[in-house]
Amino acid sequence: MIDHLSRRTLLKGTLATSAGGVVMNWGDLFHGPASVAAEASPTKKRCILLWMNGGASQFETLDLKPGARTGGTFRPISTNVAGAQICELMPKIAQQMDKLAVIRSMRTSEVDHPGGIYLMHTGYRPTANVRFPEFGAIIAKYNGREATDLPNFIKVFSQADAGAGFLGPKYQPFGIGPEGSLPPFSASSQSPEVESRRYQLRSFLEETYGKVHRAETSKMHREAYEASRRLQGVRKVFDIDTEWAKHSELYGDSVFGRRCLLARRLIEEGVSFVEVSQSSYDSHADNAVWHKALVPPMEHAWAGLLVDLHQRGMLDSTLVVWMGEIGRTPNINNRAGRDHYVRSWSTALAGGGIKGGQVYGESDATGVDVKDNPVTEGDFFATIYSALGIDPKKENFAGVRPIPLAPFGSKVVAELLGS
Amino acid sequence: MPDFTPQNPKQVWQLPFQNRNEGAWPMAVAFLGSDRRIAAGDRDGRLLVWDLAEPGDAPSLEQQQKTPGAAPAPKQSLVGHTNGISRLATTPDGTILVSASFDRTIRMWDAAAAPSGSVDVIVDHELRDAIAKKSGKKTDDATPATKVESLTSTHTLEGHKDWIDSLSLSADGRCLLTGDQSSLVIAWDVAARKERSRWSGHPWNWVVATALTADGETAVISEYRYKRDDFDIPCPALKRFHVADGAEQLDLLKVQFPKLNPKENTYGSAQVWRKFVANGLVALDISPDGKLVAAGQGGETDTGHVHLLEMETGKLVRTISGHQYGATDVKFTADGKFVISAGRDTVIRICQVDDGKEVAQLGKPRGGQFKDWISAIALSPDQRTLAATDIGGWVHIWTFG
Repeated sequence: MIDHLSRRTLLKGTLATSAGGVVMNWGDLFHGPASVAAEASPTKKRCILLWMNGGASQFETLDLKPGARTGGTFRPISTNVAGAQICELMPKIAQQMDKLAVIRSMRTSEVDHPGGIYLMHTGYRPTANVRFPEFGAIIAKYNGREATDLPNFIKVFSQADAGAGFLGPKYQPFGIGPEGSLPPFSASSQSPEVESRRYQLRSFLEETYGKVHRAETSKMHREAYEASRRLQGVRKVFDIDTEWAKHSELYGDSVFGRRCLLARRLIEEGVSFVEVSQSSYDSHADNAVWHKALVPPMEHAWAGLLVDLHQRGMLDSTLVVWMGEIGRTPNINNRAGRDHYVRSWSTALAGGGIKGGQVYGESDATGVDVKDNPVTEGDFFATIYSALGIDPKKENFAGVRPIPLAPFGSKVVAELLGS
Repeated sequence: MPDFTPQNPKQVWQLPFQNRNEGAWPMAVAFLGSDRRIAAGDRDGRLLVWDLAEPGDAPSLEQQQKTPGAAPAPKQSLVGHTNGISRLATTPDGTILVSASFDRTIRMWDAAAAPSGSVDVIVDHELRDAIAKKSGKKTDDATPATKVESLTSTHTLEGHKDWIDSLSLSADGRCLLTGDQSSLVIAWDVAARKERSRWSGHPWNWVVATALTADGETAVISEYRYKRDDFDIPCPALKRFHVADGAEQLDLLKVQFPKLNPKENTYGSAQVWRKFVANGLVALDISPDGKLVAAGQGGETDTGHVHLLEMETGKLVRTISGHQYGATDVKFTADGKFVISAGRDTVIRICQVDDGKEVAQLGKPRGGQFKDWISAIALSPDQRTLAATDIGGWVHIWTFG
């Protein structure tokens, strides 16, 4: 195997660190692009993450406790799945329940925001020694397209910053602002003629330089530059104004609705992972009021997205993940708020690879603890990777250390998986 | 109209109104005809009535807090609401209590009606816990419960499709105004129990507070909605309306900010009004002479002040009071000389209208952010007694003069 290692491959076996140093990524020497392509599932499912930043309350969304001490102000409503009820703030999602697998038994290990955001984007707790990649980067690596004008991993207003971690710059996310617009630096400030001349000169210099200096970082820089040039040709995908008039009712007239429509357009164009975030769920004060403000536009957009994907025949190949970094406490504090809670909370999956119309796991009568079928962060991500046709035990390497996609010991929740 | 005298305030009663359910604290309070009859409602939909003895016969506050049976027990339970009670009001003759609820209904109660039965209520969980802790036993939440008369409402007004957050009754008792979280406002004819008019605000907004002039002909409406995202913040509204037809007469917020665009929902546009509105002008009242409107800055905010605005022009007269973490309720006294405001700082403040000077403070800031705030206040018809609910589960009664 070593015989086949070229100088280029050897150079590729290095990882740039945030401090500018370089550590050897020996493991990746045996897992180059060719083998990655072979490992990628032929189904190439895509994924949209709907991220509830700050941690939406399970008591005010998917796991109501009517009549319980901890139940709060909202009432449950029936859904289109017999016996399954959710919050009255979510009437549109209630009618899409047959597409959802709600998990009411999440038990995770990071109770605060930075750690929780990291955990629920990577599957791993933050450590000093390893920079774990976000699952968007992993999906970009295994289910992304090699030759594409659009990035494989796009975030619309995301708070997560783990990025591609040890997978390297190739899988780094492309970030878009809260209004769904491309960042200012993505367009050239020069006229097309000037830009073209600059590009020719730049290419000449790069080529000349590249013949002598074959460093991986230079290659990555060239690739990033080329990617940003290719992006110029598909900028229209990000302009949703023309389509918005037709879809504003379906997604709801909100900024989050616009973000969700953009996510659908990007997925339709072949992007393998899009994260769409809604802010402000950290309701330590006025929890009920905040959720009454936040949830209706969110659930409208979420339901609209599911309907749109379904109508376009894309839902079976697109996994839609709904979650935040934490749940919220059963107790209501004397600021009328609910605090952070990870002992028992809820998430939801829909679409590609998921068997909809079910509630998995159960919290106890007051929502204080998981009653049955606890799902850890590892189990959750193992299930997501499986649904997307990616083996969660697949290993990548941080230096010489093999790291499975989902943490060791994680279990795929088979009951959640379907067609 | 009797004068209000803010001198020598003294707390005489502290009635427990506690609930085991999380967040189900009392949110509304009203006097029923006299200074000795009080109604309070909680976020669970419980609505209780107390008859109080002469203030001179009240045990010490410590006794009321710590001795079983020392604090007066409720006399009646008004049964019917199925979700939180947001506001209460009483007709001037004290015979009809009106309640607004998150169950989307308004109910009217005849305070003198014969009871329909009896129910057990428990309101003193804190005391039960303290006794249990002392004895090392488990809290007894069953016995002895207080058996009280139950009363059903005489009328239910339906028309709202969302939580009713606000309710106002004109001083002549003829017009009732209610507003809900779909931005719908309904004016009701109290005697006929029928709608007079209805109108809606911005579809994203909630009607968080209403106020009526004494004759019920003019209304001021405060619209607000908590943000839908950091970059999706609906523009609030503070407007004066002609009640008979719902015609808008004056945009008081636009008077403060002429360039305000109500359709803008960006983060940047919110910076225009945020300092004035804070997290919603959640408390409103109109002065008895109809010349001033008081608007209290609510939600959890740095310091919630009360703006005094001219009804006719919308011009800001002055900003008074100041409740750390936000105001929750505001009332003009019947003589129009004082504004009484309550807030999350666990304090009730009495300020002079003429110069804004604070002349009295009821209660003390209990310190820190994590304390129980005052949720609502009411003044007795004779202006000599004030009632306040707090989210720790108490109804406080003060006397003046």
